[in-house]
Amino acid sequence: MTTPRPRRLFKLPWRSARQIRADIEDELRFHIDMRVEALVASGMAPEAAAARALKEFGDVNDARRYIGRMDADTEAARRRSDFMGDLVSDIGYAIRKLRAAPAFTLAVVLTLALGIGANTAIFSVVDSVLLRQPPFPNPDHLVRFKYTQAGQGDAGTPPDLQDYRSQARLFDGFALMNGMQASLARPGADPERILGARVSANWFTLLRARPLLGRFFAPGEDAFGAPNVVVLSEQVWRRSFGADPGIIGKVVTINSAPTQVIGVAPAEQHYPVSAELWMPLSFPPAQLTDAVRGARWLAMLARVKDGVPVAQANAEALHISQIMESRFPEQFRARRVTIVSIHDYTVGDMQKPLAIIMAAVGFVLLIACANVANLMLVRAAARESEFAVRSALGAGRGRLVRQLVTESVILTTIGAALGVLLAAVGMRLLMRLAPAQLTNVGSATLSGGALLLTAAVAVVTGVIFGLLPSVGASSGNVANALRAGGRGTRAQASSSRVKRIIVATEVALAVTLMAGAGLLLRSFGNLMSVEVGFRPQSVLSARLSLPDQRYDSLSAQRLFLETLAARVRAIPGVTSAGLINVMPLDGDDFDLSFTIRGRPAVRPSDEPDAQVRTITPGLFQAMGVPVLRGRDVLPSDRAGAPQVIVVNRAFAKKYFGTDDPLAQNLTLGWSVNGTKMGGDVVGVVGDIRGAELSSEPAPTIYLPMAQSATGGVGIIVRSNVAPASLVPSVRGVVRDLDHLIALFDVKTMQDRMAESVGAQRFYATLVATFAAVALLLSAVGLYGVIAYTVTQRTHEMGVRVALGATGSRISRMVVTEGLTLTVIGAAVGVVCAYFSARVIASLLYGIGSSDPVTFIAAVLSLCVVAALASYLPARRAGAVDPLIAMRGD
Amino acid sequence: MAAGPMDLLQGTLDVLVLRTLAWGPMHGYAVSRWIRQRTDGELEIEDAPLYKALHRLERSGCVSAEWGVSENNRRARYYALTTAGRRQLAAEESAWRRYAAAVFKVLEPA
Repeated sequence: MTTPRPRRLFKLPWRSARQIRADIEDELRFHIDMRVEALVASGMAPEAAAARALKEFGDVNDARRYIGRMDADTEAARRRSDFMGDLVSDIGYAIRKLRAAPAFTLAVVLTLALGIGANTAIFSVVDSVLLRQPPFPNPDHLVRFKYTQAGQGDAGTPPDLQDYRSQARLFDGFALMNGMQASLARPGADPERILGARVSANWFTLLRARPLLGRFFAPGEDAFGAPNVVVLSEQVWRRSFGADPGIIGKVVTINSAPTQVIGVAPAEQHYPVSAELWMPLSFPPAQLTDAVRGARWLAMLARVKDGVPVAQANAEALHISQIMESRFPEQFRARRVTIVSIHDYTVGDMQKPLAIIMAAVGFVLLIACANVANLMLVRAAARESEFAVRSALGAGRGRLVRQLVTESVILTTIGAALGVLLAAVGMRLLMRLAPAQLTNVGSATLSGGALLLTAAVAVVTGVIFGLLPSVGASSGNVANALRAGGRGTRAQASSSRVKRIIVATEVALAVTLMAGAGLLLRSFGNLMSVEVGFRPQSVLSARLSLPDQRYDSLSAQRLFLETLAARVRAIPGVTSAGLINVMPLDGDDFDLSFTIRGRPAVRPSDEPDAQVRTITPGLFQAMGVPVLRGRDVLPSDRAGAPQVIVVNRAFAKKYFGTDDPLAQNLTLGWSVNGTKMGGDVVGVVGDIRGAELSSEPAPTIYLPMAQSATGGVGIIVRSNVAPASLVPSVRGVVRDLDHLIALFDVKTMQDRMAESVGAQRFYATLVATFAAVALLLSAVGLYGVIAYTVTQRTHEMGVRVALGATGSRISRMVVTEGLTLTVIGAAVGVVCAYFSARVIASLLYGIGSSDPVTFIAAVLSLCVVAALASYLPARRAGAVDPLIAMRGD
Repeated sequence: MAAGPMDLLQGTLDVLVLRTLAWGPMHGYAVSRWIRQRTDGELEIEDAPLYKALHRLERSGCVSAEWGVSENNRRARYYALTTAGRRQLAAEESAWRRYAAAVFKVLEPA
């Protein structure tokens, strides 16, 4: 009879199947033996007694089988409940342990939360902006036409469309689009201004979209003179028509014209995304002649045939455009057409900044993982003797590993949960902070995949590094570990080298991020302090558009604009006011070619071109643009009077050089009602910057509105009261003049400026936030390692103090060690930063990508943080009592 | 039925074992002897079903088993009633009493 070997304290051992069988035999034999003994004692012969005992027992084999089955069941159930019990106790133990080390727990949880949260938030936004495909069948084959060289205008003209349609073999079809400002009037409500698009009748056919209600345009509905019809977006239908199910066939007033609603487009199938209604795009016969081929103002959409590679279709489009170029060389001027999917077309400009932000996020995740790894290593090393004791008390290796995994999983779960919270909040912030061009693309939703991925990375890191030390702790080196008492074994020396490398890497990553963030922030600062050329303070601005139908004659337009300008100027508090065709800081291009009188004639395609603006008197005053030479546009510069021109300084410098600008006469490639635009230059004004504050001011020609024409109208009002307080009065003036015209885009000029740098501010803020997080995380990592080293070397410090080293000397030694690590990391970081900064060079303004001041600042700030992070443990090291330190544990 | 010892009714053995163990922990042999003595041999009980019952009750958690040392210094498997077993015993006992009372009511001459 062997006594069972206790494998663990306070718990029944698990029994193997063989042990169970042996136990059953023991039990049954005991019974028989006892019975036989009793019978023999009462005088029976041993053989007879044995036979009697067996007879009394009954079917032994049956009992053996039955009992065996029962016991196996009992055993399995016990194992299950033991496992659950262990798990419960593991979790309880882990929570007690984590609560006993709040600094460690907090550091790991925060690290994980920041890493997972930031990553998920950013990735979700990028995912929905960059990676999500447009909601149409086979979206890759839905393409926009553009020119390979930027700034050459859009690709389509009506005769071009006809050429493409008749010659292309690899396309399903082509359509043109022109953005429109629709003023939707309903009885009893202010006219609503809605962004819409005029499109060819086959627009929705190319998209392969399905109407929510009614139908889309039928072929021929875009013929000149066809009845007015409109397709509303689901949003407008819900917002302005209360989701009226009987809307189809109703007549609404759009830009003063009665228009029949024929369909409603579902909310998720919009193109372009910003449009909320669509009307047919038709051309008068005059627009279909070859003469208009030079005026490229229409967007062109096409669908490549299913199964045809886009590259092949691109080659065909290029070929057709080259045929056109050979026929009309003047109008084409070496423009190379190329087709891009509507997805790439939309996200094109944003791809790079978002990729950079993704990289920053990746850095932060790396740093977070490095931190978690380090903290886990430090903690496990500090607990080596605890594991040794538990192992000596009989805890198996599996049990210890389970304990560590439980701890890691609990930690990472809390961190991940906080991370999700952070991600949700972060994403909302991000969308609010995001520039309009980003939010237009679609609303972002938290990406489950991103969350899972980042959480998995973090959790796996935590578990792996949580386990690494347990391999050593439970590998039978119990005696060694106990004897060493945490005083440095060879394994520890190598693991502390790993920790140093990890910390140096963290520092390198942080320096790279800091340098990048510094560059972006300083570039943003430069942008904000750039001389815009006008005084945006106390200026209100708004836009309106004149409906073609009721202002079709030039005189009607001019009368309206003149009256509008006069009445706005008369509003109390207004010091000056003027009108302009293109709102300053807006992205709209209106550039035209021109000739200068007295210069040798050149081929039409080589004529210079410049931005053209039409303005009313008072505009420069309202904007705060100085008249440098000559005079402003005057009320006397009206129709019939001699044509005059004002140019900006950039124009004068570029085209007149040292010649007297006021002795020049220009002719523009633009006619209004048969009159060639142009005239004598009568003044030179200061430059103002365009939508891209970072670009140099463009050469610009200003024409009096009364002598030319305008499409859109921008109202600029300078006042001696708060600009926002003028909004009701300006609205009132417009309503009194024409109650069907909607005033829109009402903003102070300062808001407009803030918006124009919105994208840069967005990127700079994001990267700066990441850099701050990276700095914080690397400080935590550094602190962890230095603090650990101090603990490990308490004995050594004691010896040093005993041999005469002073406390301050010891502290200095520790800080030096921390700084050495930092400097090594920073040196690597500077090299990384130098190369990665080249990538962001195109996003910078007024600062070189290898700006030494920024780099030095990044390194210095990291060194300061590192010094602080090592100072705390260093102070502890300096205060070591040699007696206690050398007595050991 | 009249002459020899009676067969056991289904499920009766479990309640007898539980009742026996209510006196205190004992090994299988002791349980067997104790039941035989109390029933004065009126019930024909083989030991095999008894052990089956013991292990069945262990499986269902009514009794717990532990190896111990017997009165003559041998290793023996001791069974003890658990809390769940005590509850089970109380329930079965009252069920048995009601059953027996009902049967008696029929058998008594009116």
